[in-house]
Amino acid sequence: MPMYKVKPVSPGDIKIDLPTCMYKLPNTHAQGMNCGEHALQNGEVDPALKALEERQDEVLRRLYELKATVDGLAKTVTTPDADLDASTLSRGPAESVFRGTADLDSLLGKDLGALRDIVINANPAHPPLSLLVLHALLCQRYQVLSSVHVHSSVSVVPPPLLSCLGPRHIDSYARQRFQLGFTLIWKDVSKLQMKFNTQSMCPIEGEANVARFLFRLLSAEPQDPLAATQMDCWIDTAVFQLAEVGSKEHAAVLRSLNSALGCSPWLLGQEFSLADIVCACCVLRAGQTTSAAANIQRWLKSCQNLGHFDCVNPLLQ
Amino acid sequence: CCVVSSCFRAGEEEQQAQSKKALKKQQKEAEKAAKKAEKQAKLVSVRQETPVVFDVFSLRLCLSLSWIEADRPLVRVQDLTPEKAEQQIWVRARIHTSRAKGKQCFLVLRHQQFTVQALLAVGDRASKQMVKFAANLTKESIIDVEAVVKKVEQKIESCSQQDVELHVERIFVISQSEARLPLQLEDAVRPEGEGDEVRKVDLIIINLHRNLNTTTSQAIFRLQSGICQLFRDTLINKGFVEIQTPKIISAASEGGANVFTVSYFKTSAYLAQSPQLYKQMCICADFDKVFCVGPVFRAEDSNTHRHLTEFVGLDIEMAFNYHYHEVMDSITDTMVQIFKGLCDRFQTEIQTVNKQYPSEPFKFLEPTLRLEYKEAVAMLKAAGVEMGDEEDLSTPNEKLLGRLVKEKYDTDFYVLDKYPLAVRPFYTMPDPNNPKYSNSYDMFMRGEEILSGAQRIHDAQLLTERAMHHSIDLEKIKAYIDSFRYGAPPHAGGGIGLERVTMLYLGLHNVRQTSMFPRDPKRLTP
Repeated sequence: MPMYKVKPVSPGDIKIDLPTCMYKLPNTHAQGMNCGEHALQNGEVDPALKALEERQDEVLRRLYELKATVDGLAKTVTTPDADLDASTLSRGPAESVFRGTADLDSLLGKDLGALRDIVINANPAHPPLSLLVLHALLCQRYQVLSSVHVHSSVSVVPPPLLSCLGPRHIDSYARQRFQLGFTLIWKDVSKLQMKFNTQSMCPIEGEANVARFLFRLLSAEPQDPLAATQMDCWIDTAVFQLAEVGSKEHAAVLRSLNSALGCSPWLLGQEFSLADIVCACCVLRAGQTTSAAANIQRWLKSCQNLGHFDCVNPLLQ
Repeated sequence: CCVVSSCFRAGEEEQQAQSKKALKKQQKEAEKAAKKAEKQAKLVSVRQETPVVFDVFSLRLCLSLSWIEADRPLVRVQDLTPEKAEQQIWVRARIHTSRAKGKQCFLVLRHQQFTVQALLAVGDRASKQMVKFAANLTKESIIDVEAVVKKVEQKIESCSQQDVELHVERIFVISQSEARLPLQLEDAVRPEGEGDEVRKVDLIIINLHRNLNTTTSQAIFRLQSGICQLFRDTLINKGFVEIQTPKIISAASEGGANVFTVSYFKTSAYLAQSPQLYKQMCICADFDKVFCVGPVFRAEDSNTHRHLTEFVGLDIEMAFNYHYHEVMDSITDTMVQIFKGLCDRFQTEIQTVNKQYPSEPFKFLEPTLRLEYKEAVAMLKAAGVEMGDEEDLSTPNEKLLGRLVKEKYDTDFYVLDKYPLAVRPFYTMPDPNNPKYSNSYDMFMRGEEILSGAQRIHDAQLLTERAMHHSIDLEKIKAYIDSFRYGAPPHAGGGIGLERVTMLYLGLHNVRQTSMFPRDPKRLTP
């Protein structure tokens, strides 16, 4: 028997229609709608789609072509002389050295009004003779403001090193009148270093590399790749193998120098080049030139006669 | 009755114990008396040897210390080296630290930048009272010790004299220090942390008389003294004459704004902003090459790390033959000789300062690097700075330029030549080849300007024109212009600030650290 009875508020048998669908969208497939977009359902291809397909084919085709080219190159690289016939390389006339005109703006970048100053940090124990020769050559081509400084890390520098760039230029008080600056700083560094444009260039290390940079300023690079490679080869040989006097390597290099100089007056043939400069400086620095072979002596004499090596002589004592 | 007897026996024993105690007490007293007698005897013997010394240890020997003339030589702390091993010597120094441990007392004695360890141990030479006395001495007191120098096997890392220590036999106090120090010495010497800078500097200056004693301050001001001396020596060797110029003057030399006024009897006068006028007058009097060292007063309300209202100016003026570069080269050569001299003779001081304020060693080129203003502008533009060709260099641009130059040439010192005419004072000679520029130059150390110099106009006519162009009252500078009317040789010069040069050479960051008693808009004492 229930304790309390309450009259029902609502009848319990109302039927409620519960929804079965959350969202309703209009039926796109219903009849009577605009069927313009669906005209292609009958197997015809939409022109836009066609164009896309064609583009895709084109891209794929180009990809395959590239792949083929790269494969071919890989083959030629790994197998020496596969596709290269040395005899067909044109032996063009060797560019006459030191007679080309140079455009400093194109070589070194636009002139911003500042003196283009090449800063070379060298250790006084190992003076860079080839760079001094190149400096003399640069002075003939351009107006160069040369200065020598001694860094506070070095206490004493022998006087010949202080005057190795020649006497002070008359106009040196007006830096703006010069096209190029050549600042040599005697500093306690382990490796020779060159700084030019610190914002866009990292420092260049090593006498040979700086020599290559300076040589390019003369616009006297050999044009054909064969000569250029030979020149690089001689430079590397000189720098790495002529270092120690009396070693077997040293003797071997001298022998190959002798034989090369037997065929032609200069190392690259008829023209004086950077290879001659660097090799001559290494040979002179190693000393014992009086006991060297005949061809080498003749070649050294020719170098001296050119006059570019005058700055080097006082440093050899 | 057993109790009684036991009590009695106890009493007896007690009596015996009592007497034992009494005996012990007597013995002790006898010992003490004996010791006292011994001490007295010792005192007597000591008194007989050196009639002036009262005791083996004593406080406040005598305030004036001038009532005897002792022959006793005092060895300086910095001279205590292994060569003196086993010698008995007298040392006068301050107590840097003292630490007692049981029967031993370790003292660290300090004189200027040098410290040495001293050991006082209870033994036949030292009594327990003496060790206690030494341990209680206040820090910073000045004492005289008689000690034997002993070599040590292990280096004493915390002292400057690392190979020896002193075994103290006698110790006397010359001047006692108050117990509570206004600034702990360790705090003054500790390297600075972030955010500490301004407060630390204030604290240090307030307690300047204490701070001047630290090893670092000693080193800084010895170096500063060296700069002054090298400046004088180098210039005198070059044939310069030192002159003294007046500091109370009638007209402001550099411009009316930054000058101190003083009342001068019924009128007023000014404190000299620079010895410019007088240097030039000496050149007109055919002295040819002059320099002067003296205070310079600038009433600039700048509270920066590198400005003072009063500083020591080292000024140079020189007549030249053909080109003002002769003067510029002379000045740069003087600076280079100063740097070289500091490097050769003051290495100890430089290392001492570096311990508390580490910095890169100062680098320079010889001959000094000279760049032109146009080059500097081009370098700055290449680095992304936007500025006009004739605009003056702002301080951040100067610092950036210093970094660029350091990167390319690896030097902390260089000259910037040919400044634009518009930004220089009226007495600067214009460049004959280009009227927009002038024959003037600034020198920089670590990217901050230390010298501003130029060729001066030595023609009265041109000077008048330039003064009018700058809207300067001609009446005020009449005497100045008049000095050029009767034949004046072409001349140029410049001046440096001693404090700033010291600060930049050592790589410090606040000029107040290199000024013994700095003056700025907010500081008038000590």
